Amino acid sequence: MRGSSFRYLSKQGLHSLVANRLMTLASVGVLTACLILVGVATLFSANVDSLVEYLGEQNETVVYIGKDLSEEQIAQVDSQIRGISGLSAVTYVSKEEVLETYKGYMEEYAVLFDDFEEDNPFRANYRVVVEDLNQLDEIVAQLEAIEGVEDVSPPTELASVFLSIQRAVNVGGWVLVAVLSLVSIVVISNTIRITVFARRKEISIMKYVGATNAFIRWPFFVEGMSVGLIAALVSSGVVMGAYAIVLHYAGDLSGFWNSLLGVSLLPLSQVWYWLLGGFAAFGILIGSLGTATSIHKYLEV
Amino acid sequence: MIEFEDVTKVYPGGNTALENVNLHIDKGEFVFVLGHSGAGKSTFLKLILREEKATSGRVLIDGKDLGRMKEREVPYLRRRMGVVFQDFRLIPTMTVYDNVAFAMRVTNIAEDKIRKRVPYVLGLVGLAQKSDRLPEELSGGEQQRVALARALVHSPQLIIADEPTGNIDPELSLEMMELLSAINSVGITVVVVTHEHELAYRFSKRIITIDHGAVVGDAVNKQGVKG
Repeated sequence: MRGSSFRYLSKQGLHSLVANRLMTLASVGVLTACLILVGVATLFSANVDSLVEYLGEQNETVVYIGKDLSEEQIAQVDSQIRGISGLSAVTYVSKEEVLETYKGYMEEYAVLFDDFEEDNPFRANYRVVVEDLNQLDEIVAQLEAIEGVEDVSPPTELASVFLSIQRAVNVGGWVLVAVLSLVSIVVISNTIRITVFARRKEISIMKYVGATNAFIRWPFFVEGMSVGLIAALVSSGVVMGAYAIVLHYAGDLSGFWNSLLGVSLLPLSQVWYWLLGGFAAFGILIGSLGTATSIHKYLEV
Repeated sequence: MIEFEDVTKVYPGGNTALENVNLHIDKGEFVFVLGHSGAGKSTFLKLILREEKATSGRVLIDGKDLGRMKEREVPYLRRRMGVVFQDFRLIPTMTVYDNVAFAMRVTNIAEDKIRKRVPYVLGLVGLAQKSDRLPEELSGGEQQRVALARALVHSPQLIIADEPTGNIDPELSLEMMELLSAINSVGITVVVVTHEHELAYRFSKRIITIDHGAVVGDAVNKQGVKG
């Protein structure tokens, strides 16, 4: 397409946007509402992900090793455990350290543990943190297979709760995005249908003078995409503003909630470009799809 | 230039609009296609414009079979033709200049060429002074001439005029015909589709008469008082 034609046709699309301003406003309004819901769902889902990831990082699997292992055997177990991929942390806790820890728990009765100095009943162990809880079962199996490992105690229940929360939020988020996308496409499609209907005479003249379908479609695409883009800008502004307020109030929380939300809520600086870019891409895509589904009929001249 | 070979057109409802039509229009000819309402004139036009396809037989333009033409080739076929409609089909929100320029803009022609060509064509139809008027500010005859300018602006080889005098005064009809004659004199093929016998028979031109979907007459009118 020639530059001058491109400008001319794009101008036609924008002109139509202003000429049908009531319809444009209604479409932008409905689409903005849909996008806000999509944005809220996405942010919620991203934050739950981040929270679950944070809590998941706190998981700890205790790997008990045999009581009578020689230093050499312990070194072998050590290297095998550290050789497993998917572990974010591996800490060796000797039986002396375990004893010290227990003493610390019961400072007042620490004297009771004195006898254990001679004959320590605790077992040395490894504390390992699994990077991705989805791999927990697989990693536990690998740990159990290591010679010298007596027992593995994974946080299975905790992991399954986290994973189901994450899955439910993700699935719910996608369903919401799918439904709202469909609603948005119908809304844009209706707007364009009205414009196309109002300009059907012009379209038929275009066809008779030899305009290609791509040329005829372009102004309508410009119009549909503009509606999508305007709605994207408005809704991302609203969502980001609201999120900033949530972050502000979350910062004022104290105690448990602060330590939980304070570390896991994603900061605005980390999400704003995703929101803006995602909304703009989503708006333009929905605008184009809405246009494509409404103009076809009038091109058959 | 235009060839109909045994063309039959039956619409989906079963209505036969044209039946076994054979005709040939040469490059540079001026032809009236005459017929009553419902005779099949509109279908004849739609087949030439490739708005419809023949049910059987072949419609050829410059040797190209329109029945075998791909959809994406149709715009390029239409760029070789100019169509003037009975109801003018001007865009009411655009000025005379823009209505004519529109035909060039939507066919991807550079703006500087449009700026040169449109005033020239408007001058040919005598509307150079009214280029910034809106269609509603013009008389029927003037609107018709804008439609003609739009049909001429991309230098077509064929002008098709569908009932070009249907919406204008009789004296203006003659003026319009003379304008079409002048266009024909520079080698452009002109096909005028009309139901007005009197008007057609005033000219010494070839008249193809269609009735009930069949060609019932095809001869040059030698009694015409105009050239």
